[in-house]
Amino acid sequence: MTTNNETDNGKKALGIYIHIPFCRSRCRYCGFYSRAAENSPDSGKAMEQYIWKLIGEIAERGAMYRRQYVADSVFIGGGTPSMMPAAGVEAVLGAVREHFVLSSDAEVTLEANPDTVDLRNLRRWRAAGVNRLSMGVQSLDDGILHTLGRIHSAGDAVEAYRLARKAGFRNINLDLMFAVPGQSMEQWMNTVNRVIGLDPEHISFYSLQIEEDTPFYEAYMTGELDFVPEETDRAMYHAAIAAMRRSGYEHYEISNMAKPGMRCRHNLKYWSFGEYLGIGDSASSFMNGVRWTEKPREEYHENDFADNTGEYVFTGLRKTEGIRKSDFARRFGREFWEVYGSRRGYLKEYFEEGLLLEEGDVIRLSERGIDISNSIMAIFV
Amino acid sequence: MDYQKYIRNFSIIAHIDHGKSTLADRIIENTGLVAHRDMKEQFLDNMDLERERGITIKLQTTRLVYKAKDGNEYVFNLIDTPGHVDFTYEVSRSLAACEGAVLVVDATQGVEAQTMGNVYLALDEDLEILPCLNKIDLASARPEEAKKEIEDMIGIDAEDAPLVSAKEGIGIDNLLEQIVQKIPAPSGDENGKLKALIFDSVYDNYKGVVIFVRIFDGVVRVGDMIRLMSTNKKYEVTEVGVMAPGHVPAKWLRAGDVGYICASIKQVKDARVGDTVTLDDDPTEEALPGYKQIQSMVYCGIYPAEGEKYEPVKDALEKLQVNDAAFLFEPETSTALGFGFRCGFLGLLHMEIIVERLEREFNLSVVTTSPSVVYKVVMTDGSVRMIQNPTNLPDPSEIDHIEEPIVKADIMIPKEYVGAIMELCQQRRGKMLGMDYITTERVDIHYELPLNEVIYDFFDALKSKTRGYGSLDYEFIRYERSQLVKLDVLLNKELVDAFSMIVHESEAYQRGRFVCEKLKEIIPMHQFEVPIQAAVGQKVIARETVKAYRKDVIAKCYGGDISRKKKLLEKQKEGKKRMRQFGKVEVPQEAFTAVLKYDDNK
Repeated sequence: MTTNNETDNGKKALGIYIHIPFCRSRCRYCGFYSRAAENSPDSGKAMEQYIWKLIGEIAERGAMYRRQYVADSVFIGGGTPSMMPAAGVEAVLGAVREHFVLSSDAEVTLEANPDTVDLRNLRRWRAAGVNRLSMGVQSLDDGILHTLGRIHSAGDAVEAYRLARKAGFRNINLDLMFAVPGQSMEQWMNTVNRVIGLDPEHISFYSLQIEEDTPFYEAYMTGELDFVPEETDRAMYHAAIAAMRRSGYEHYEISNMAKPGMRCRHNLKYWSFGEYLGIGDSASSFMNGVRWTEKPREEYHENDFADNTGEYVFTGLRKTEGIRKSDFARRFGREFWEVYGSRRGYLKEYFEEGLLLEEGDVIRLSERGIDISNSIMAIFV
Repeated sequence: MDYQKYIRNFSIIAHIDHGKSTLADRIIENTGLVAHRDMKEQFLDNMDLERERGITIKLQTTRLVYKAKDGNEYVFNLIDTPGHVDFTYEVSRSLAACEGAVLVVDATQGVEAQTMGNVYLALDEDLEILPCLNKIDLASARPEEAKKEIEDMIGIDAEDAPLVSAKEGIGIDNLLEQIVQKIPAPSGDENGKLKALIFDSVYDNYKGVVIFVRIFDGVVRVGDMIRLMSTNKKYEVTEVGVMAPGHVPAKWLRAGDVGYICASIKQVKDARVGDTVTLDDDPTEEALPGYKQIQSMVYCGIYPAEGEKYEPVKDALEKLQVNDAAFLFEPETSTALGFGFRCGFLGLLHMEIIVERLEREFNLSVVTTSPSVVYKVVMTDGSVRMIQNPTNLPDPSEIDHIEEPIVKADIMIPKEYVGAIMELCQQRRGKMLGMDYITTERVDIHYELPLNEVIYDFFDALKSKTRGYGSLDYEFIRYERSQLVKLDVLLNKELVDAFSMIVHESEAYQRGRFVCEKLKEIIPMHQFEVPIQAAVGQKVIARETVKAYRKDVIAKCYGGDISRKKKLLEKQKEGKKRMRQFGKVEVPQEAFTAVLKYDDNK
């Protein structure tokens, strides 16, 4: 199973995340760490230096971990990794192969924005070992794309997808965003249906989050933008799930659906207490019970029992299959209800209302429970 | 030689913020008691809270030695007074211990309501009043006008009033000389029977209660058996001394002196302010005048907050009471809040101070319920009940009528605010008694107001409507029959007794609406709709609804940054902890005080 932490040869499985903090321009909703490089005359040079730094880090971490771990997933995320010259992708993945043991079936994902994609690049990425493409489509409505501050059009996105198929990618994710200011249910479902029509293996769909220190946050505080009411937000969410399910997608995580067998192995590590190593600026890692984040958002935390169990439960509940009490007991040496029995009082109303379900060995959120999942997860931290 | 010739006992009286404590600091500094570098700002205000709020709550007294220009050394006993209308009685007892008072008037502001209040108290005690104009270093100072106000309103000569700046240390020497020249020396009979006035008492962990006294006649020594005349209780004196500052033991205290006595007294309430101390085996015939039992004017419930235990709160209240005879408490139970205490205070400020001290000094988290005055409920059978907890109001069918306490309020304001303040007083059911022009610019309006209108937010409203220039002084005058009703609050159809309040019938609707609106702002969204209702008896008079939330989910988690997400959840959980659970509804602690706060927009 992909979520197992042990591989056949006794080494532990590892996901490697590589962060590329460059974007051509910053999207209006984005609060993530990135360097908008579009207008910088030195952007090429900065990118090159950054890639050298990544390679150095990969070598260093490889020396530390290659003996205990087999990497079965690599995820190059951003930012906009597809802005990297193809040679950069080749160099980075080359370094990973050189300094880590990469399993033969490893999932290697690259995040790409439609405006940075051409056939030549796509082919070189494939040749470098990228076997999964995650494209930031967000919407197939030009008005909505404009609101979001994206610099591609709906047509660009569809064209980029076709090229990726042409280049031979057989595992493509399309990222979508809903509850965008001004977006109607019709507009959203139009995007969903057209995306389903493209038939990608995987679809991620995120409800817009207002993050502090973003232009959207400003607009939100000043009342400049009409935000979608929560009721509509939830209706959009559930309608999208229903439509995708009818077309053969499985809802496996709060914001992710995939064709059978096409779930994202790397992202599942985050929700299944798997180990992962982050490389690059502000990348997060979780290995040997320690969570840390690289500069400039530097953090280091050694998990204790309560951290471990709390994180296991709240991340696990993001998956529609939920958590298994037997797995919990095996990992932590104590029964689930022995640890959380005292919180039954707080959980009672959620069980009673069918938002949280206990079905034999499994504890999981219902689809309605997802809507208010934070209040349930908060009980476990 | 008559030693009393070289003693001056005086207070400094002033309106809040007119610089009383700063002036006291300068006097202390200039008499050489405390070196400048050892001075904390405002030496006499030694509670953090007092320094922060710029007011004196617990009074202090200090013995100073001043070498005057005539070459003699004088002992100054400076008795500080609390600076708030809640503590009028304590002020009057402090003044009774003096022969004179330095009246500080802010030269930029002129005479204000509490200046007058304090002046009247000082005149009642036949004190020599020495006016002094402060803040003359400020460009906006208008000392001549202020002098005229003093002369016109108080009727004392302000011609020679020293012009000082306590902040800059200007004019202090002149003031000290005038204290020597103008304030009379005490003239007690050292050989008479002991007669001493208690003007303050504090609890000390090692010595028990330390009582602060002014000796009028006689002498008290260690080993004497003293008697407190209001209770007739006897105690053996274990220590006497003076505050210099800090306890400096002495052999005796004699007529004219101000100092302290320790006599193994267990509780502050056994040594009440205003009581007379005499010798048990040779008592004076007559106690000093002016003693009265302090009445609590405002009551509220204090309950341990969620997660807080009952016992630590009880212990803390006991400790506070040991030091504060005006603060009362007894256990009570609320269906909404569980076990807690009904507490009595001199006023709203006194209440706020006690609550803040619980939180700061004892690190406790408490919930306070709506403050209430004491109502006189006359039953149909003619019996009378005094009710200070709205929950205890008997069934309306058994009540003949209810009476509420009325106060006489003096409100001083610049004349341009007269309209606004009359409107405010009108809204608060005030009856205007009259208005005096203090100067051509400032007026003193007299009103009769129900106390329950004053305790909620009147002072805040006054300050807000006069841009801080208004001042208020009030005193209880009588009980008066009134159309009062109990206003209840229901959350999700369940009555929350801690929100109940007694209001005038004519205001029930407005108050009910305000409370519902406030609670709607404060109560977080739940999974279900939460109706908030205000009701009088069975009749719902106002209603709001907290909408149910539909969405509480983090859609995305960037690059495996679990810690960030976890922090969000932890924050959410912390928020939940500070909530009070009523049935299925969670109410943040601050809701209980927020419904009382003045709102400009209402």
